[in-house]
Amino acid sequence: MARNPYLPYPARIDQAIVENEARDIKTFRLAFVDPKDAAGFQHLPGQFAELSLPGVGEAPFGIASSPTETGHLLFSVKRVGLFTAELHSLEPGTPIGVRGPMGKPFPWDRLDGKNMLIIGGGFAFTTLRAAVKYILDPANRSRFGSVLVIYGARTPGELMYKQDLAEWQAQDDIDVHLTVDEPDKNWTQHKGVVTAVLGGLKPSSQNTLALVCGPPVMIRFTLVSLGNLGFSDDAIILSLEMRMKCGIGKCGRCNIGSKYVCTDGPVFTREELRALPLEY
Amino acid sequence: MNEKRVSYTDVDALLDRLREQAAVYAPATDETGDVTLIGPPRRDPVDLEYRNFRLSPKALVLPQNQTLICFRNGEAEEPILPDRETILFGVRPCDARAMRMLDKVFLDGDPCDPYYARRRERTMVMAMACTRPLSSCFCTSVGGGPGDAAGADVLAVPLDTDLLLRAETAKGEALLSSVADLLEAATPAALKEAEERIQAAADQMAPVRVEDSAKRLRDAYDLPVWEAAGQKCLGCGTCSYLCPTCHCFDITDEVCGETVRRVRTWDCCAYALFTRHASGHNPRPMPKERWRQRVMHKFRYAVEHFDSLFCVGCGRCIRNCPASVDVRAVLKEVGA
Amino acid sequence: MTASHEIETRLREVAEGLLGDRKVDLFLGYEKTTLPFRTSPLFLTAPDKANRLVWNPFCTVNLAVYLARLFKAPADAREAQRAPPAPTVGLVLKGCDTRSVVALVQERQVPREKLVLVGVACPGMADTRKAERALGQYEALGAGEDPQGNVRAVIEDGTEVTLRREEILADACLECRSPTPAIHDFLLGEPSEARNADVARRRAVELESQPPGARWARFQEAFSKCIRCNACRQACPMCYCKDCLLDQARPRWIGAGTDFSDVALYHLVRAFHMAGRCTECGACVRACPMGIDVRLLVRRLNLDVEDLYKYRPGTAIDAVPVLSAFAIDDPQEFLTEP
Repeated sequence: MARNPYLPYPARIDQAIVENEARDIKTFRLAFVDPKDAAGFQHLPGQFAELSLPGVGEAPFGIASSPTETGHLLFSVKRVGLFTAELHSLEPGTPIGVRGPMGKPFPWDRLDGKNMLIIGGGFAFTTLRAAVKYILDPANRSRFGSVLVIYGARTPGELMYKQDLAEWQAQDDIDVHLTVDEPDKNWTQHKGVVTAVLGGLKPSSQNTLALVCGPPVMIRFTLVSLGNLGFSDDAIILSLEMRMKCGIGKCGRCNIGSKYVCTDGPVFTREELRALPLEY
Repeated sequence: MNEKRVSYTDVDALLDRLREQAAVYAPATDETGDVTLIGPPRRDPVDLEYRNFRLSPKALVLPQNQTLICFRNGEAEEPILPDRETILFGVRPCDARAMRMLDKVFLDGDPCDPYYARRRERTMVMAMACTRPLSSCFCTSVGGGPGDAAGADVLAVPLDTDLLLRAETAKGEALLSSVADLLEAATPAALKEAEERIQAAADQMAPVRVEDSAKRLRDAYDLPVWEAAGQKCLGCGTCSYLCPTCHCFDITDEVCGETVRRVRTWDCCAYALFTRHASGHNPRPMPKERWRQRVMHKFRYAVEHFDSLFCVGCGRCIRNCPASVDVRAVLKEVGA
Repeated sequence: MTASHEIETRLREVAEGLLGDRKVDLFLGYEKTTLPFRTSPLFLTAPDKANRLVWNPFCTVNLAVYLARLFKAPADAREAQRAPPAPTVGLVLKGCDTRSVVALVQERQVPREKLVLVGVACPGMADTRKAERALGQYEALGAGEDPQGNVRAVIEDGTEVTLRREEILADACLECRSPTPAIHDFLLGEPSEARNADVARRRAVELESQPPGARWARFQEAFSKCIRCNACRQACPMCYCKDCLLDQARPRWIGAGTDFSDVALYHLVRAFHMAGRCTECGACVRACPMGIDVRLLVRRLNLDVEDLYKYRPGTAIDAVPVLSAFAIDDPQEFLTEP
């Protein structure tokens, strides 16, 4: 008999690190209690999972680690409400439940052989981190062409995954451009919004697919810029956030248009998004 | 010809016999004078004078609240799922059909919902055809009918002195076989009477143009009709709670001492909190957007996603809406 | 008693005038709907559509319920900049509805100067479910009103059935003590006295006089059908909190299911929040899909407030709501040593 999809896998918080200067984003490293569950949890970047705290509830989070980072899962969580506040207060060693993997990942079968343009803003870099780690893994790197990452935040302190970013910038198989709205005195990289950097770099749209995740205002302007650079609607891939409960297409909460963000998404192409009502 | 009949005076005996093999829910008059499906431990005499029950029978496969998981001492326990067979007797064809729609969401999807599946697979539906539709009924316009058997294991048709009974599934056949000694073969006259009554009922219903609703609604997103209907909507939830196909639910954790129960409860897209994010952002902030979502979900999105309308034309929303908003009137405006 | 159609004609004139002269931006009233024994709220903006307004025994919705959302304060300064100016709203009000509007003004939810109150002296409204039940197994396919104010229904076989108004009056109307709007800008119809000022008190006393066990049983029986749909709250003009306490997640005071402990708490808490604020319009009872007498508890609590503090909500527009104020000589025996 199939496993009950509402039953979380037991896991444990191994580590919780503060990601940003405002101290409201933490990255949690989780490990499954049962190695069989760990082996069975096969995800692809772009997917999410529901984290479960009995007595508090559940909430969906994009998986920030690549399947190539074995033995654990990473989730970056911003403290905004009931569940996230509770999660932020937990110490390593605390049990936590995981349901997943859920949703459609980035369309990896379409991305083979393509150049990658990865654009992220602020807190929305979580699943993009998973995507970059996946692409850069030696087992996968040759499947993809050039990789350009443009990642922006309000201030240098608000950039996430600083250690990963530094490592990537030291590598030559990936080009990472970081930008902030308000630099500090040590900042030597770009200043300005992501779209300005994009406009300056003018990456080619030839054989290139763009993954875009960020706050609504960033996405709005980025889509315009990408359009100007010649990216067609099905070459632009985004990830949608929506209020969710069951995560498995039953409760109806994440329904937009004829889609359920938890099962038909959260990854959608621009073309698919155009067909949806603006209710997100 | 496998149709059977039983005289009205023997229906209680039939139900009693069925009670030996399953929990039987049958129509009876409750304390307020309404006829509703009443189940064990009660064995009230059956009352067949009803148009339809106030509450749809969906509560018996998708209860208003049910515990999904119990957390105790750090362990997650799955509740023991009910094991008994259930027979729902007297369900109208619209409500029986609605169960098929709920099946599309809870059974056919991957993964399948085990809580719904367990109840559903142990539930047999003995539907009761309609001979007197209400003016708010429009099942014929949404692919159903007063004698439609979709979702029914047995279809009963009320005749002058008898109930005609016809098995519609293998389960229904087995059920009728188990009480064969109480039944007689139906005569050709009885069959003809049944057909005529059902046709007469179907003819009574004013048609509502629904067949191309998905297409018409695609072009209707910005029409003023949503504001006009949404303005009146109180967000009271009555329509969704009484609707036999509405199934949206909430999952919350209830703490009682050392035990935590993860509970599923009915929810409604017309509630303001339904899509509100933790950040406070609400993609459907006004009643107009929520009301539009409700109609769109039932008459367009469900067609595009599940290949099925999510309305069976039972009319409960029309009769019970405190602001008397009539979804048929809205559909008509969309078509104009 | 003024005939309904006279009131209807006058009402249409008033609405057309108010809209035509731009004295109001929006006029709330009632219109016909697809099923008999019902009317639907009408949001009128065009003066030439004023003939859609109706006045009949089924003008039951308390239109005051729409006011809080029409006058919702902007969330912040930026929203305040973008928000259009608050509309001036005219609305048709029965005695109880008027009290709701006044109570909302008392609680600073709506500004009096943005309202035009078109009061109608109300003979009591019919209850849809009572009317339908009175027809037994027949359904009304059409309905009208006779000169005595009774309801004439045409049933399936074409015959006419007269339903006497007194027999299908809503419970709230049977208990009504304020049939004539006390505060109004227009008054249509002949003012009348309350039908019988004692009914609510007798009902409350009857319940109260029973021993606690029987009272609890009554309460349990009445509310055991509750499906937690929240219709009672949504239909109530006085329930305007943006985030209802009973929906709160932190802390989660009650669950959302039908466990009687949750049902009981929901209604008990609501009843206490209604004490001294409920204007006895019966919108909650009418909205309840399960036919529960939602006012079972509030009936008593409201009378308590009246007895203790000589206060009835919605009767004096400048009165401070009694449970929001404290007078030094308020009765407070409960604070003293037993």
